[in-house]
Amino acid sequence: MPISDTAPTIAEVRNLKVYFNTKAGIVQAVDGVDFSIKDGETLGLVGETGCGKSVTARSFLRLVPMPPGIQVDGSILFHPRRICDSCAGAGCAICDQTGRVAAKCPACSGTGCITCSNSGIEQVDLLTVPEKRLRQIRGDRIAMIFQDPGKALNPSLSIRQQVGEVFLQHRTTEVLVRAGLDPDEASSLLERRASLQSRSVEKVLLSIPPFRSNRNRIDKAVDQMTLAALAETQIPNPLKVMDRYPHELSGGMKQRVMIAQALACNPDLLIADEPTTALDVTVQARIIELIRELQERTKTAVLYISHDLSLVKRVCDRVAVMYAGRIAEVGSSDELFSDPQHPYTRGLLAAIPSASHERGRLVAIEGTVPELVDPDPGCRFAGRCPHEADVCSTIDPDLKPTEEDHAVACFIHHPPDAAAASLPSFERVIR
Amino acid sequence: MTSTGALAEEMPVTSRDGSMLAVRGLERYFPIRDGALQRVAGHVKAVDGVSFDLPRGETLGLVGESGCGKTTLGRVVSGLSEPTGGGVFFDVDGPTQSTLDDVLAVPIEDRSEKQRSDLETIERSHRIDRLEGAAWKQFRRNCQVVFQDSFASLNPRHLVRDIVGRPLKVQGEASGGDLTEKVVELLEQVGMGRQHLYRYPHQFSGGQRQRISIARALALDPELLILDEPTSALDVSVQAQILNLLHGLQEQRNLTYLFITHDLSVVRHMADQIVVMYVGKVAEAGPTNVIFDAPTHPYTRALLGASPDLEDDRSQFHGLEGSVPDPARPPEGCRFHTRCPVVTPVCGWEVDDVVLRLQDEPGLFDQVDGVEHRSPFDADLRFSDPEAARRLSGLIESQRVPAAMREAIEEVTVDDRTVTVRFQPVDEVALTVRGPGHVAACVHGQSRPI
Repeated sequence: MPISDTAPTIAEVRNLKVYFNTKAGIVQAVDGVDFSIKDGETLGLVGETGCGKSVTARSFLRLVPMPPGIQVDGSILFHPRRICDSCAGAGCAICDQTGRVAAKCPACSGTGCITCSNSGIEQVDLLTVPEKRLRQIRGDRIAMIFQDPGKALNPSLSIRQQVGEVFLQHRTTEVLVRAGLDPDEASSLLERRASLQSRSVEKVLLSIPPFRSNRNRIDKAVDQMTLAALAETQIPNPLKVMDRYPHELSGGMKQRVMIAQALACNPDLLIADEPTTALDVTVQARIIELIRELQERTKTAVLYISHDLSLVKRVCDRVAVMYAGRIAEVGSSDELFSDPQHPYTRGLLAAIPSASHERGRLVAIEGTVPELVDPDPGCRFAGRCPHEADVCSTIDPDLKPTEEDHAVACFIHHPPDAAAASLPSFERVIR
Repeated sequence: MTSTGALAEEMPVTSRDGSMLAVRGLERYFPIRDGALQRVAGHVKAVDGVSFDLPRGETLGLVGESGCGKTTLGRVVSGLSEPTGGGVFFDVDGPTQSTLDDVLAVPIEDRSEKQRSDLETIERSHRIDRLEGAAWKQFRRNCQVVFQDSFASLNPRHLVRDIVGRPLKVQGEASGGDLTEKVVELLEQVGMGRQHLYRYPHQFSGGQRQRISIARALALDPELLILDEPTSALDVSVQAQILNLLHGLQEQRNLTYLFITHDLSVVRHMADQIVVMYVGKVAEAGPTNVIFDAPTHPYTRALLGASPDLEDDRSQFHGLEGSVPDPARPPEGCRFHTRCPVVTPVCGWEVDDVVLRLQDEPGLFDQVDGVEHRSPFDADLRFSDPEAARRLSGLIESQRVPAAMREAIEEVTVDDRTVTVRFQPVDEVALTVRGPGHVAACVHGQSRPI
C-alpha cells in the first residue's frame, strides 16, 4: 500500500486469515486482509454484517476465541512506542508533540538486527507474541472500545474499581511513586497490591495496621489517577460517577467511562468497534467529538470500525472497505468517497438514502452476501457485481494501487493476465 | 375556533378530504406503582397530547430519540395498547373530520347536546378503542404492523406458510391449497418465492425475514401499515432493497404508512410529512422538505446537526448536552429547555433544574435534607448546614448556571439552612403555526398561537 505521509507505521496487518470451525464446515471469516495504520491517523474499517471487520479488530488483541477460531495465516506487526525521554511525555519537538517515541528493538537496542529487519525499532507480532507480553500490550499500548458499553463493563464492579484496575495493571511503578513509596524498596506485599496480584491472605494482611496506611495511600493514588482519567472525558461530576455501578449510568455515560478506561494509559492504538451504534444520534455526535478531541491531543492512532459510511466519512482519514472477509478497496477518505472504484463501494454509497434520490429509486445491491463456507475461488463479489466478467468467478483479484494512497481489488482497474482470462469481455465492461 | 379546530386547519398533515388516521390529543400514561400496596405513585407520560392527521396514501415519518414515545404511539395507533386519553380516529371522511374538530375545539362542559351526540356517533364508528364487533374486526384487518426485530416477531417454530397464512386463516379468507397459493402470491410480491414456503424463520437472513414480516402484514390487503423501525436492524444495501419494496407496494396498493424511525436519512427518503417527538410531545411537524430545509425547533436542528450525511462536507457536528429527561417528571414549559442551546428565561425554568445543577457540585448534593415544593417553580431547599445553603445561593447567581436561568429567577433568599427559590411561572409551550402545514412548539419565532 502506498504511504505518502512521513508518519511512521504503527501497525501492519499482513495476509491475515482467521477461519471458524462450524457444523456446516470451515467459515473463512477473514481471508487475506492487508492494511497498515500510521501513527496518529484514523483508519475506518467499514463493511456489512459478517464481513469480518470485528474479527479483524479482535485479532489485534487476540480476543477471537480459539477454538472455534483458527489462526490460519498472517501476522499483525505492531511497533510499540514508549514515553519520550527528553520531555517525559509532555510533548516536545523530538517526539512531534506526542510525548512518545518508537521503542527500540530489545535484541539490538536500536542498532538494527534481523529481528527488527534492520530498523532498530521494536516490532511485535501480535499473533505469535507470548501471552505474558500481550497482556502488557493490551489496555496499555493497544486499547479497545466495544460496541455495547452495557455488556463490556462489569456490572458488579463500581466505576472506580474498573478504571482503577487499568492503572494497577499497567502503571504499577507510577502508582507507587504517587503513593509516596519508593518502587525499588517497596515491600513485595505492596508491590503485589499495586499490580493487583494480592492473594486472599495478603489482602487480610494489608488490612491490618502496619500495612494499612500504605495500602490506603496506594488506593488514594489510584483514585486520583482514575479521577483525572474520567475528567478527561468530560464526565460531569466524576467524583460521584466513580462510586456508581454501570447500571446507574446512561448509555452515553457508560461509553465515556469505557473511553476513559481505554485512554487511561495513553495507548498508541485505539480500536473502536462500532462505539456509537447503540447510542442516539445526539449522543453519538458528542462521543465522536470527544474521541476526535482526545485523539488530537494524545495523537493516538484509531482503528474505527463501523457499518455507517456517512459517519466514517466524517471521522476517518483513511478508509478500508471490507467485503466477505477481504479488503475490497482502501484509500484516503476524501478520495474514496468522491471517487469510489470498487463496484461494491459504489453500491454501498448508492444505497444510502439521501435527498437527491427519488423515492423508490435507491440503488440496492442485488442478492446477498455469499456463504463463506468453502467459497468459490473467484472474486467474492462476483454474482452481485454489475460488471461481472468470466474471469471474476475463477480468479480472485489482488488489492493493487490505482493511484497514490488508493488501492482496489477489482479487475476493472487491473485487468488480469491475458493468459489467465478472456480479456475481450473486460474491454466490454470498461467501455 | 380555538385550539384543535385551528390546529386541524393548519396542521401539515390535514386534508379536507378526510384522513386515514386522525390522532387527537392522544395520551398514553403508564402508572408507576410503589409501596407494599402497589399504589399508583405517578405516571410515565410516554405519549402526552399528540395530534396529527395522516391522509390516505401518504407516509408520515415519526422521528425522535429513544424513549421519546414513538414506539408507544405506534402501539396505541395500531390498537395494541389502550390510550389513557384522547383518541385515534380511523378512516374519517372530510365532513366527519370537520365535525369532529369543531366539537373537540369546544371545552367538554360547554358542548351542546347536539355536539355531544355527534361526537358519540363519530367515536362509536371511528375511535379505535371504542370499536366493537365487526367494526373492530374490520379495523384489525385494515391496520397491520411491521416490527423492528424480525427475530422476535416471527414464531421460530412455525413455517413461513403458517406465518404468512395465519391472518388469512384467522379471518377465514382461505384454507388448504387455496391458502398455499395465496401465500405464494404474497411471497412473490415481496421478492421471495414458492421455494421458501416450507422453511423456518432462522433459515433466512435479516432482510428476508423482514420481507416475510411485510408479506404477513400485507396478507389481508390492509390500508394502513405501521412500520416500527423496519430497517434499523439491516445493513444499508439490504435496507435499500426493503425501502424500494415498501415504496413499490405503496404505489401499487395505495397504502398509507406510519413510518417510525430514528434514522433521519431514511425518513427524508420515505416520508411526505414528518412529526418530531420529544419526551412524549410533538416538537415540530411539517412537510419533509420544510423540516429538513428550514427547521425552526432547536431540537429538530440538533437532530439534523448530529446525524451524519454523506453529502455534507467534513464539518463539525454537534451533539446535545445532557440526557433525555425522565418522562415521569417531564420538565415544565418547553420540555427541551434543559438541553436547549438557545434557551430563554421564559422557557420554563423550575426548581428541578436547580436540583439538577446541585448534583454536579461536589459535596453539595449530599448536604440536601429535603426539597419542599409549593409549585414546580417555587420551593424551599433545606440543607444540613448554613454554609451549604450560602454556597447554593452563590452558585445560582454565578456564571456557572446559564444566563437565561439566572434571569428567570424571581427570588432567592437564604434563611439559615433554608434556601427559597422562586422562578417566574411559565405555561406549557404550545404548537404555533410557522408556515403552510408547518407547526413547532418553541418560544422563538412565534407568530401566533393556535
